[in-house]
Amino acid sequence: MLRARIVLGLYIGFLLLPIYWLVNMSLKTNSEIVSGLTLWPHTLTFENYTKIFTDPSWYSGYINSLQYVALNTVLSIALALPAAYAFSRYRFVGDKHLFFWLLSNRMAPPAVFALPFFNLYSAIGLFDTPFAVALAHCLFNVPLAVWILEGFMSGVPREIDETAYLDGYGFPHFFVKIFTPLVASGIGVTAFFCFMFSWVELLLARTLTSVDTKPIAATMTRTVSAAGMDWGLLAAAGVLTIVPGALVIWFVRNYIAKGFALGRV
Amino acid sequence: MARIDLQNLAHSYVPKPSGPGDYALKPLDHVWRQGGAYALLGPSGCGKTTLLNIISGLLVPSEGRVLFDGRDVTALPTEARNIAQVFQFPVVYDTMTVYENLAFPLRNRGLRGPAVDARVREIAELLDLTPDLKHRGSGLTADAKQKISLGRGLVRPDVAAILFDEPLTVIDPHLKWELRSKLKALHRALDLTMIYVTHDQTEAMTFADTVVVMHDGAVVQMGRPQELFERPAHVFVGHFIGSPGMNVLPATVYGRSAHVGGHEIRLARGYPPIDAGRVEIGVRPEFATLAPAGSGVPVRVRRIDDLGRVRLAKVELAGIPMAATVPEAMPLVGDEASLTFEREMVHVYADGHLVEGEAA
Repeated sequence: MLRARIVLGLYIGFLLLPIYWLVNMSLKTNSEIVSGLTLWPHTLTFENYTKIFTDPSWYSGYINSLQYVALNTVLSIALALPAAYAFSRYRFVGDKHLFFWLLSNRMAPPAVFALPFFNLYSAIGLFDTPFAVALAHCLFNVPLAVWILEGFMSGVPREIDETAYLDGYGFPHFFVKIFTPLVASGIGVTAFFCFMFSWVELLLARTLTSVDTKPIAATMTRTVSAAGMDWGLLAAAGVLTIVPGALVIWFVRNYIAKGFALGRV
Repeated sequence: MARIDLQNLAHSYVPKPSGPGDYALKPLDHVWRQGGAYALLGPSGCGKTTLLNIISGLLVPSEGRVLFDGRDVTALPTEARNIAQVFQFPVVYDTMTVYENLAFPLRNRGLRGPAVDARVREIAELLDLTPDLKHRGSGLTADAKQKISLGRGLVRPDVAAILFDEPLTVIDPHLKWELRSKLKALHRALDLTMIYVTHDQTEAMTFADTVVVMHDGAVVQMGRPQELFERPAHVFVGHFIGSPGMNVLPATVYGRSAHVGGHEIRLARGYPPIDAGRVEIGVRPEFATLAPAGSGVPVRVRRIDDLGRVRLAKVELAGIPMAATVPEAMPLVGDEASLTFEREMVHVYADGHLVEGEAA
């Protein structure tokens, strides 16, 4: 028992070390970072955070990212809910093939799609808008969302649908008022996955934006200035990038394992 | 509250059925009268659930019409039919309390206020659910959940019919008995049309006034439990109902006697020559009694099973195995014995179907 705790403690410490180091760095001054090894900030400073929250070129990066991520999550789930319902409840010609083909979309590297998306969005005036990135991310988030939701929906017995009709509910009512609450945990987990994948994706996000909607990850790659690298600022930006994901994961912590199994237990 | 007519109804899961084998439900005409307690009895896969789903509208029949009180509802969706169905496994809206679960069908019919409350409390009382009314459905035991499912079916006073699809499968045996008598009592109290699907003959016989026996997608007999027992219209009914089932012996029948392997069995009615591939006589073990050798048709006794209340003998009549009742006082000496039959209860079947004899 004790040994297990020690092993587990070491493991968690090992996992948390880089995160601790990031937080540690973000609270130091640049001179302390480059001068030598210190295990905790000797000259504690919140300068780096203040800069991010006051400089529009920094905080707008977060706003832009959150904008397209939220948009993408809503779009993906709105599209995936009816699709997943159809896959879980109806049998039609080629349903299994179509279902697998959806997942195979995730197997292509996003880089392949960067050029066509860039060209297409430039042509129709979507370039450098949150919609461009949100739509592009649907490419891999919608299939994932369909797969996860289908798993959760198949766990709800079909008799629930039939009983709701028998009790006098039409399909739209049933879907919104009975079915959606029943798969609420699945929707939460799906939202988390969509959020996460869209949040960490850099290539498409950077290709499809230039000035107005530059994502935070792109901003972070441009911290090299004439005075050299701003380590502390970069570390603070890194910490703030982890926070939204950590917040979202808190809400779905009980269902996350089921989500990784694509809703199948 | 409705009379349900099925007119020339048939269903096939194959898009273009080419023969009778493709039909899950063969063409049938049937009337379910208002206030009746029916049981649909048959082995798994005989079309019981298909028929039920057609009545409730979950399935659209490939042929024929469904009428509620003379109104054609064949094309109407389930939610517009005002019908209740209880499934094999409990269906409870987990996100609602037991009270809300029971009130749900009423509210969907536009009922509000005290009328809903009174009805929900009445049904909850009948099903012993009153202490649970405030709880969520998700934490309850399987039989409590099934009671909620039943309750949701029973709660609407104006429901056209309540369909039960093997509703007691998940219930413990001792509660099964209780719930079944409760359903029976509810049927009497509420004057509702109930159709109860089961493959358990005891369940069917105790619940229903009229038992409909289905086999291979067709209704083979419909009648009171006693009729099914005493005059099976088909050898399948004879086999399926009763434990053990009816003895069926290949025979040649002429006039008022049947011959089985050279032994004569007297019949109560006279029969014209039967032109059919397979002629059999059927008699239930209850109506064939073992007697000392020499007093009837000679048989060879193979085994005696003591079932507690009765003793059953496995015998061979001219080499054909069958079962018969052993009278209490009868001593058993050796394996030579004979059988006496209750003449009224010996039936003649041609290709599986009952042949009506001419009473003399």
